[in-house]
Amino acid sequence: MFGFIFLAGSGGMTVVLVEVFISNFCEKCSNAMFMVEQETARIDTTRFDVLTVDVIEQIDHAVALGVLATPAIAIDGKLVFTGLPTPQTLRTELVKHIAVDDK
Amino acid sequence: MSTYRISEVSRKINLSADTLRYYEKIGLLPPVSRNSAGIRVYDDQDLSRLGFIRRAQTMNFSLAEIGQLLEMRTSPQNARNEVRELTQRKLLEVEKNLGELGTLRDELQLLVNLCQGSEEGCPILEGIAQKEQR
Repeated sequence: MFGFIFLAGSGGMTVVLVEVFISNFCEKCSNAMFMVEQETARIDTTRFDVLTVDVIEQIDHAVALGVLATPAIAIDGKLVFTGLPTPQTLRTELVKHIAVDDK
Repeated sequence: MSTYRISEVSRKINLSADTLRYYEKIGLLPPVSRNSAGIRVYDDQDLSRLGFIRRAQTMNFSLAEIGQLLEMRTSPQNARNEVRELTQRKLLEVEKNLGELGTLRDELQLLVNLCQGSEEGCPILEGIAQKEQR
């Protein structure tokens, strides 16, 4: 449903950056990556640039965004979730960011 | 007001008795009161001043700079312009250090949190190694 709404006017629209902060030592991180992929696909993949960030490899960037645990999800450079959100909560947040970018 | 002997002050502030005498000699500390036996008796104000000196030293301020900052600390309204400027500069240094300390704290917190969530080992050493490579 969301995909239809936003595809309708997607030409030239900005892409929302979604960063999933993970580590090798975190059991929920793969769930977080899967959920982000799933929810961005449900909305519209073309509206999102999804990056996976290993916090050990990019610790400066992770800390600068306030990431203190994994998994964590940042949207457009701001930390939005620490821990695993529900799919619905994540979807709502993603849609909100698309709506902001469309204004 | 409480009073303290030099050995007590030395323990509390973690400075040697010789250092305390030296600070008095160079004027970082005003002449310390003496009891009837001629033994130095420090009061709470002395301790407060010494605590400030200690903290400023941990920030790598020189003794000369600390002397000027103490001038400001004693009478901020009457401090000379150069002392006010030094204080302003030092304030910026402290704020910069606080920022760096905050980042370091967050990095360590992240590494500790990763350790706690791990059953296969601790990435703290790996994280520190990554930092050193940069």
